Amino acid sequence: MDISIEIQGLTKYYGKKKALSEVSLSIPQGMFGLLGPNGAGKTTLMKVLTTLLEKTDGKVTICGVPIENSRQIRKMTGYLPQDFSMYGNMNVYEALDYLAVLSGMSRSERKRKVPEMLEKVNLLEKQKIRVRSMSGGMKRRLGIAQAIIHDPRIIIVDEPTAGLDPEERVRFRNLLCEIAKDRIVLLSTHIVGDIEATCENIAVLNQGKICFDGQVSDLLSLVEGKVYSAEIETSDLEKIKQKYMVTGILVTGNTANIKIIADENPFTRAKQVRPDVEDAYMYLMHKG
Amino acid sequence: MFGTLFLKECRQVLKSLVYYIFLVAFVFSVNSQMSGESWKSLKEPQPGEVYYGRTITRDETLIMEGTLANLMQDVYRGSFATYPLGFYKKVALTEAERKKVEEILERCTGKSYEMLESERNRYFEIIEQQSTLEEVIAAETDYKVPVREGLTYEEFGIAMEEICNLVGKGSSYEKSKYENSIYVPMTYEGAKEEFAALCTKDLITRGYMRLFCDYAGIFLSILPIFVGVSGALRDKRAKVQQVIFSKPAPGMVIIGSRYLANLFMISIPVFVMAFLLQHPCYKMARSMGLQADFFAFLKVPCLWLLPEIMIVLALSFFITEFTDSILAVFVQTAWGIGSLFGADVLVGNFGLSLVARWNTFGQSMLYASLEKELLWNRGYYCLLAVVCILLTVIVYERKRQKGGAYGKVCKTGC
Repeated sequence: MDISIEIQGLTKYYGKKKALSEVSLSIPQGMFGLLGPNGAGKTTLMKVLTTLLEKTDGKVTICGVPIENSRQIRKMTGYLPQDFSMYGNMNVYEALDYLAVLSGMSRSERKRKVPEMLEKVNLLEKQKIRVRSMSGGMKRRLGIAQAIIHDPRIIIVDEPTAGLDPEERVRFRNLLCEIAKDRIVLLSTHIVGDIEATCENIAVLNQGKICFDGQVSDLLSLVEGKVYSAEIETSDLEKIKQKYMVTGILVTGNTANIKIIADENPFTRAKQVRPDVEDAYMYLMHKG
Repeated sequence: MFGTLFLKECRQVLKSLVYYIFLVAFVFSVNSQMSGESWKSLKEPQPGEVYYGRTITRDETLIMEGTLANLMQDVYRGSFATYPLGFYKKVALTEAERKKVEEILERCTGKSYEMLESERNRYFEIIEQQSTLEEVIAAETDYKVPVREGLTYEEFGIAMEEICNLVGKGSSYEKSKYENSIYVPMTYEGAKEEFAALCTKDLITRGYMRLFCDYAGIFLSILPIFVGVSGALRDKRAKVQQVIFSKPAPGMVIIGSRYLANLFMISIPVFVMAFLLQHPCYKMARSMGLQADFFAFLKVPCLWLLPEIMIVLALSFFITEFTDSILAVFVQTAWGIGSLFGADVLVGNFGLSLVARWNTFGQSMLYASLEKELLWNRGYYCLLAVVCILLTVIVYERKRQKGGAYGKVCKTGC
């Protein structure tokens, strides 16, 4: 079965404002990260893919089905929006069961799948808790449960870890990786760490345009040999920040350990280090 | 999917505070109006009784005399009560306009205004000196101004149109009003015939349920708006629009199940109240050896009130979905009040009134003659309700494709 998302020349206008400009992407099976700063157009792209927004131009197919066929697309996608919420007066079980009905599941399917999903997202013991009493992390877990309950081929998650504590974030990322087998999980975030920990393929979106599309290793290769670490006097910090792209600063007394991106070794004390995705992302964002 | 969603939506309504406020307001309001006295007077008329009740007359001479008496009273008091757009408005005429009205009175009666005034004063002076308060009220209703010999009903109609031009819209001199508002005392034969119709055509309880529907209809023209608006704004309030929009369930199923759940939950207290109020009437009729319709509490409100709840709820769904606001509360409350105060008469004359009035127990023969008009009225509102729900579904689906906004370029962030 074809599990892919094909986007060709996707453009979206809000009135006169261009939110997406000629976006072309080919998203294969597995975890796919969509990275970009706030306002880059990530949510717009996600909403177009979930049929919540009409595209202005371009062609989008999900598993071979044109995006215009919204009913069919909704059946094969699961969506966790950025600010997921449910009716406060429902308990966890009722909320998931309600959304499962809207996903077209029969009573017997729901009876089997709802507890199964709650178990998967570690909410089975909290099934009687009202939604209004749930923490942010619990809500997200309920959100992912509703997105996958009808076993969709595509799962689209928008900024799922924003606002979560580190432990919740790690747990959530692991959960996403688990469910990415045999399907596409499109993860949109501006948190580079989430992408680094979970995705092999990524795209970087900035000001409505794709500025990178490839594997994480390809992104890293952009800054290979360009990331340096050095210990400097704190008084020199401002001068260096003006001259180079600084991606990390650790101040200890009068000295500071800094990480910078430069095409050539900036000064003799600086040592070349292995780049990470954050370095590559920063390089990509500022190079143009 | 539809049945399951319907049940889940019913549960959601049951968890809503607005629904309980509706429940209390409805039960309290209807209960306060239904004194339960009407059916206690249920007895077969006997010859020689002083009073057999009153009935609306169809006699043209009596209509003319009664209407001219009302006109005389208004001119004497110096003001006219009108209901343009359903709201009360006191109209005071200028000296020139008053002169014109006096001329019209003279044309219709053949007597000068001064003569009519002195006759009026004599009539009421005698009544006030010799009678109890109740009899004074009855005498005021019985007050008639004799018409000029040879005055035709057409001439009278033209004269009343002139009055309407002077006092404005919504006065009691409009044809539809004066033809349905002149009451006359019933004769023994008339009362007997009416009682027979109540027993055979209405099987007692149906007649009583019409009175219930009259009162309940007043409150149901407004109270369901709040339940509808609250239900339609629920997704927005809980910020669940995006999740629900992304589900494959069709808009027709989502909106349809919500609408029917709200309709069902609003109808339950209506039927329960109808049953509870009908029960003593049913028992009374049975104790008198009369046949009574046990299921009148279902039949009559189904015809009378269900279409009203349907349209009130459907319109509140549509306006709220379209505007994403509580605008429906203001628009529809104005409509409900307008329909109530704009009613020509308290019994019958349904036209396209949202609130179908029948503020009396029985009047079975009159009802039989107007039933077709009521069926058209209720049928029209049923159809309108269906149209409103279809439009709501269209708006909902449109919003679904526009990220939750309707008629706005961008409501959601990018």
